Amino acid sequence: MAAVTTTTERSLNKLAIVAVLIVTVIFLAPIYWIASTAFKPRNLATTVPPTVVFTPEISPFVKLFTKRSQLRTAPTPEEYAAAPWWERLVFDGGEKVVRSGRGEVQWSGYPNRFMNSLIVAISSTILAVGMGTFTAYGFSRFKVKGEQDLLFFILSTRMLPPVVVAIPMFLMYRAVGLNDTHWGLIILYTAFNLSFSVWLMKGFMDEIPKEYEEAALVDGYTRIQAFFKVVLPEAATGIAATAVFCFITAWNEYAFALIMTNRRAQTAPPFIPSQVGSGLPDWTVIAAGTFLFLLPVAIFTFLLRNHLLRGMSFGAIRK
Amino acid sequence: MATAALTTLDPRSRAAARGWSDITIRNLFIIPTILFLIVFNIFPLIYSLGYSFTDFRASTNAAANFVGLQNYRELLNDPYIWNNFAVTAKYVIVSVVGQVVVGFGTAMLLNRDIPFKGLLTTLLLLPMMLSMAVVGLFWKLLYDPSFGIINYVLGLGNFEWVGNADMALYAVALTDIWMWSPFVMLLSLAGLSAVPKHLYEAAAIDRAGSFYTFFRITLPLVAPILMIAIIFRTMEAFKTFDLAYVLSTQPTTEVISIRLYKMAFQEWQTGRSCALAYIVLIMVLAITNIYVKYLNKVKER
Amino acid sequence: MRKKLTGILAGIGLSLAYSTSAFAQELTIFWAEWDPANYLQELVNQYEAETGVKVTVETTPWSDFQTKAFTEFNAKGSAYDMVVGDSQWLGAASEAGHYVDLTQFVKDNKVLDTMAPATVKFYSEYPGNSGKYWSIPTEGDAVGWSYRKDWFEDPKEMEAFKAKYGYDLAPPKTWKELTDIAEFFHRPDQKRYGIAVYTQNQYDGMAMGVENALFSYGAELGDFSTYQVEGIVNSDKAVAALENYRKLVEFTPPGWTNAFFVENNQAITENLAAMSMNYFAFFPALVNEASNPNAKSTGFFANPAGPGGDQFAALGGQGISIVSYSQNQEEAFKFLQWFIKDETQKKWAELGGYTCNKAVLESAEFQNATPYNKAFYETMFKVKDFWAVPEYAELLTQLNQRVYPYIVNGEGTAKETLDALAADWTGTFKKYGRLK
Repeated sequence: MAAVTTTTERSLNKLAIVAVLIVTVIFLAPIYWIASTAFKPRNLATTVPPTVVFTPEISPFVKLFTKRSQLRTAPTPEEYAAAPWWERLVFDGGEKVVRSGRGEVQWSGYPNRFMNSLIVAISSTILAVGMGTFTAYGFSRFKVKGEQDLLFFILSTRMLPPVVVAIPMFLMYRAVGLNDTHWGLIILYTAFNLSFSVWLMKGFMDEIPKEYEEAALVDGYTRIQAFFKVVLPEAATGIAATAVFCFITAWNEYAFALIMTNRRAQTAPPFIPSQVGSGLPDWTVIAAGTFLFLLPVAIFTFLLRNHLLRGMSFGAIRK
Repeated sequence: MATAALTTLDPRSRAAARGWSDITIRNLFIIPTILFLIVFNIFPLIYSLGYSFTDFRASTNAAANFVGLQNYRELLNDPYIWNNFAVTAKYVIVSVVGQVVVGFGTAMLLNRDIPFKGLLTTLLLLPMMLSMAVVGLFWKLLYDPSFGIINYVLGLGNFEWVGNADMALYAVALTDIWMWSPFVMLLSLAGLSAVPKHLYEAAAIDRAGSFYTFFRITLPLVAPILMIAIIFRTMEAFKTFDLAYVLSTQPTTEVISIRLYKMAFQEWQTGRSCALAYIVLIMVLAITNIYVKYLNKVKER
Repeated sequence: MRKKLTGILAGIGLSLAYSTSAFAQELTIFWAEWDPANYLQELVNQYEAETGVKVTVETTPWSDFQTKAFTEFNAKGSAYDMVVGDSQWLGAASEAGHYVDLTQFVKDNKVLDTMAPATVKFYSEYPGNSGKYWSIPTEGDAVGWSYRKDWFEDPKEMEAFKAKYGYDLAPPKTWKELTDIAEFFHRPDQKRYGIAVYTQNQYDGMAMGVENALFSYGAELGDFSTYQVEGIVNSDKAVAALENYRKLVEFTPPGWTNAFFVENNQAITENLAAMSMNYFAFFPALVNEASNPNAKSTGFFANPAGPGGDQFAALGGQGISIVSYSQNQEEAFKFLQWFIKDETQKKWAELGGYTCNKAVLESAEFQNATPYNKAFYETMFKVKDFWAVPEYAELLTQLNQRVYPYIVNGEGTAKETLDALAADWTGTFKKYGRLK
């Protein structure tokens, strides 16, 4: 809109900048608050007005990773001195680290679940985006009988509340032994994300001029070669954008994770909010869990940020 | 839809002679996905359709008895279930409208010469990267009338956000709007930045008002992608479970998914919950069908 | 490259998941994720030291404990040898054959003589009065009260209270006093409120609080052997109890409509309420200065008596059961034999577990160990519980649907509410053929 730079336009622009900044601050305030709580001492977590200046602590993260229980008798000075630095932090918080009969430190469920989340989210994102790309290409380039109906069917698979699908899925998984396995969740999340991936990718595919492939075909490529060598690189931006969304969904999914997994394949989302074992939530630990869990997805999005915006406009589904 | 099928290759051409035929490729690309979705979506649905006519409980291993339409009859006569549906409908409308207004509005603001536009856009996406249940938990704390920060910042004293029966649903929707407006914003922004600049220039030369420009140029061109955002957000809002479950237990916020969860996995009334699931399914299908029809109409314009 | 990464991650994940199952002599106990489970881990560490059998306490958050346990049972999974399950599960788990019948074990080992009678009745026996036992009382728990000693002992407050109500301000002995004190301390203008009670409209949250009123008023939920509820759950006593509970809700902090154990503990730590009901299991956090800035001035009392002098409390807590699908049942029986020994129970109490062992509970040593143990002891001999039938969760839902709008939003009257509830419950019992 540079062509019509008038005084009003310029002042409008300034107004827009101010407005955008206000919106950004409002949207980010809760995030900043969560992130800062992750480094606060416990007694400053719920103060009103919120404490802004404080000495950051690492103890919420130590607590996040260990199994702890209320300290009933204070450790003796010798015990305290003999304890490693991280155990002292737990002592300072009025708790102690739980150990097994062999004296091994018991980890909390967090690291294991975090790992499960990584496995499940990464695998299902690759699968959903991969299958979605192929299928979108198929729909975009070839005549498919009942295309509209098929596309609606694909979309409809995402309409169901997870709880609706969860009941039969749960029974089915139980019958075939997929309950509580990584594969079980990976398949579910793939199925779940596939509709989004097909719909979004079809938009991108439609935008790639088919002349590109035709030229490749004339050059002696087979259709498959043309797809991999010409279409895929063109669609990279769209793939990145789709992957970000699929990853975000799979990473944070809660209902299926709650119902379909038990001990081996549990992911982190149902775990993080339930750090209330003693009957008093330690907000700093919950915030630490949230903060760490936000990092992978934030980094992933940040790395692909240029693709994201370009990809989205590229995929704007239009004639 | 948008693009016509590719010109079919001349069967005698060199390209067609080598490699797979178009039909093979098409089938290979599409059929696995369709099959996969059938196995993992249609199959379970058939399974649960069967159970919806029984009194099956998954918590015991007792055999299921056929009860005919009893589950459906009882559910449709249950005023609490109707309340759940009414709550869900209200929630979907409030939260989706809110997200479109905020998301699209922010996109309009961002669709200008704004410094650090890319960075700001990415930062604005942060809320949707959090897990719903965690968001619910922290917002419950933020909303707290006694030690919540929202009331402190806005100077609202003891205002009860999620505690009050009449306010609770809006508070839950507000959290959802905070979390998902960025999604609508991103898609709108994509649509907006794809509007050819010369259209605006032409409008400016014609001295068209900004009102006219918005409704005659911007909106129609952004409509298709905005519709996609609306379809997905509506479906997600209809499915809401975790956020409302954590934030409030007022009957005015008990959306249908919560009722379904309790029925299926706390009460273990598997048969009956399958029937309820079916009622929900039919409703969502109907709504989405209307949306998609409208989407196609919008696109044809 | 990404695939490779996934492979590596999958490998790490799998090795983490399976690394614990390498020992031959091993028992796994499943419980919720909370402090008592950690204490139990410490206790069973000693069993390992004595016998070489490694016992692991596996935990999952409370919010999904029930779902997870039954999911595993339904799949006939052998992952857990024992489960420390809620008392309400007894019906569902025993009727479905998930629990091993412990009747003979209970008789052989004289469990009835060593444990507090009410605990065996509610944690172990199903159906009511049948003489069939399915678990061993493990973590006794009930709903008690915490209060702000500093507020109660402030001379100015004591004087004002005496002037207004005509008797001394002290931890309440009756529900009438409880209500008076709540009213007395309820001062919204000072951001101080009277009382914190359970109001969460999910699962058994609110039900546990309402039961405290109901039972002390001498009311019952119904006849546990005939399933008669009409005229019992909506008796005059029950109506009066519910009205009293509703009155307490008026003295709660603002927005107190989704409160369960976390919120009620916060009522004390955040200086909101003078008194707060909660499970005894969550009181340790209140005497810990790291989590409760008011730890030094927090006191505890047992659920007070109703107008008729009855004094009961709602039961929480769990018993330990052997899972039918376990492949180590023999080892599990040996473990239970060790667990019920008086020495073990004593140690269990020392570690922070709430023993149900009569001798330990009665010992002065136990009662003086913490500020709340005495109240716990007083309570554990007069507890009552919710229905333990397999359809208990449906009964809970019906209770929530009927009672919540009255209690929290003041819709309708107590009488209407309970009449409707009695009709709902009658319908449910008829549906399951328990009532003709």
